[in-house]
Amino acid sequence: MLFRIDARPGRVATWTLSWILFAAGIVLYFHASGIRHADNPDDKVVPSLSQLGHGISDAFLKADADEQDSPDAANVSLARRFFNSMLWTDTVASAKRFGWSMLLLIPAVILGLHMGMFPLIGSFFLRFILFFDKIIALSVLPILFIAFGIDELSKIMLIVIGVTPTIILDTFNLTTGVPPEQIVKGFTLGANDFGVTYWIVLKQILPRVLNSIRLNLKAIMLFLFAGEMIASPDGLAFRIALLRRHMGMNVIIPCVLWVALLLYLVDLTMRVMNRRLHPWFREA
Amino acid sequence: MSSLIPLDNIGVEYKSHGQAPRKVLENLDLEIAAGEFISVCGQTGCGKSTMLRLILGAERPGTGRVLIEGRELPRPDRHRGYVPQKYSLFPNQTVLDNITFGPEMEEFGLWGRLLPRFRSRRKELRHDAMGYLRQMGLQDADAHKYPDQLSGGMKQRVAIAQALIMKPRILLMDEAFSALDPGTRAEMQRQVRHIWADTGTTILFVTHNISEALYLGSRVVVLGRDSPEGSSRVIFELNVPDSARNTSGYPLRDEMERLTRLIEGATDGGQREPETVELREV
Repeated sequence: MLFRIDARPGRVATWTLSWILFAAGIVLYFHASGIRHADNPDDKVVPSLSQLGHGISDAFLKADADEQDSPDAANVSLARRFFNSMLWTDTVASAKRFGWSMLLLIPAVILGLHMGMFPLIGSFFLRFILFFDKIIALSVLPILFIAFGIDELSKIMLIVIGVTPTIILDTFNLTTGVPPEQIVKGFTLGANDFGVTYWIVLKQILPRVLNSIRLNLKAIMLFLFAGEMIASPDGLAFRIALLRRHMGMNVIIPCVLWVALLLYLVDLTMRVMNRRLHPWFREA
Repeated sequence: MSSLIPLDNIGVEYKSHGQAPRKVLENLDLEIAAGEFISVCGQTGCGKSTMLRLILGAERPGTGRVLIEGRELPRPDRHRGYVPQKYSLFPNQTVLDNITFGPEMEEFGLWGRLLPRFRSRRKELRHDAMGYLRQMGLQDADAHKYPDQLSGGMKQRVAIAQALIMKPRILLMDEAFSALDPGTRAEMQRQVRHIWADTGTTILFVTHNISEALYLGSRVVVLGRDSPEGSSRVIFELNVPDSARNTSGYPLRDEMERLTRLIEGATDGGQREPETVELREV
C-alpha cells in the first residue's frame, strides 16, 4: 500500500500521516531530555518541559525593566506583557527589515519582466545579473559594513544582494516562457508594448513570481539573520546570538520555533493570497 | 478584386547556432484579394505557419516583401485578427474578459481603466461581448469561466469571438481546429464559413487537412518543396467556385474526390510548376 503510486489516502489518513513526524520529533526530544536530566537534573542543553515553560514565559511574557518596577506590574494584562516582551520587540525589529527587503523585491520583479520582454534591456542586464548572482552575499558583508555602516541599510543590502538576482532571473525566465502566441495575440487586440508587458505577461506570470518569492523566504531570512547576528542592537537573530553565550537553550528553542512559525504564516498568507488573487492559477 | 495582400518573392531562412541556415520559403509569390477565404495547406514543416506569421507581421522575410493594403507593416496590429491552434486565450482572464480585452485596451489603453467612465463603458462592452459569445454558440453561463474550464472547441469559439469583436480586416487562423474532435471541428467549420459570408472578412486559414481546406476556402493554396532538402513555395493553387458546392457549402462529392487527388498529387510530386485549376461549373 505504501509504495502504490495509485494510492488515494482519505482526508483522515492524510491528516494523521502529516502529523506523525511532528509527534515523533516531540517524543524523541523529551526522551532525550529525560535521559540527560536523569544524569544531571540541571542540564541546560536539552531543556525539560518545565525549563522550556520558564524560557517561553521569560521570552514571551516578561515585561521590560520599567514595567516590572512600576507599582501596577502585577495588574499588567497578558496581552500587554506579550507586546512589551523582548521576543515581541525583537520580532518587530526583524519584521521591519524583512518588510523592507520584500518591498525591494518589487523593482527586481519589474527589472526581470522588462529584461524578458525587451531584448535590448535583456542584453544590457542579463550577463551582469548572471555574474552578480554568483557572488556569495555573505562574502561581501565586510564591504557592505564599510560602505553602508553597520546600520539598517547594510543588512537590507545584504538581503538585496543575496536574493534579488535570483528573483530577477526567475522573473526573466518566467517572462520568456510566456508563449509567443499570447504576445502576438495582444498586439492584434490593440495592446502596445507596455500593454502586452503589464496586462498580458505580468498578470500571467505574477502567481509564479509570488511562488518564487515564497520559495525564497528562507533565503531572505537567512541573510537577515546573518546581518543581525553580526551587527545589530536588536532582532530575533541578535537575541539568539546573545542567548547562545548564556547557554539559554530554553529560550533559543522557543525562539527558533517562533521564527519558523512566523515564516510558515507568511508563506501561508502568500499562498492564500495567491489563490484568492489568481483563481485561475491551479498550482498555488 | 484588388490585391489586399501581395507577397512578392518571399524568402525566409532560419539560422541555428553551429548549423547551416535552413531555407523555409523561397521565391514565394501570392496575391490575396480583399474578401477572399484562402486555405493554405501542405505537408508538415513546409512553411504554412511561417507564411501566416509573415502576413501577421510577427516575422519578417529575409528577401522580398509583404504588403498589407500597400504598406509594409512591421508588427501585428488590431487590423489583423489571429487565432492560433494553442494558447489562443489569456489563461488569467474569464471568457468575457478575454473577449472585451481588445476593445478595452484600444479605448482605454494601459492606465485609462482608472478613469471613472471606464466602469460604465465596460458594461456596454460586456454587453457587446455577450452578443459575440452567443453568436459563437456559447451559453451565458460560460462567460465567467476561465479558459482551463472550457473544452477545446469552446476555447476556439471564444478565440474567434475575441478576434471578431475587433472587426479585423484580415483574420489569420493557424491550424485553429486541428486539436478538435471531428464533430466539433465540422461545427466550427460551418460557423467560420457563416462568419466569412456575413462579414466579408478576408480569411487566411492554415491547415494540413485537405478536406477542410477545400470546404472552407474560396481558394486553396498548396505549399510544397521542390526536393526534400529544398525550400517551399506555392506549388499549386485552386479556385473553388460556389457552384461546385452543395447547398450546405460542401464541395460536391465527386468534385471533392477529384480535387483531393489533385492536391495530393501536387504535394506528393512537388516537382511541378505552380498551376491554377479552375473548377468546371457543376
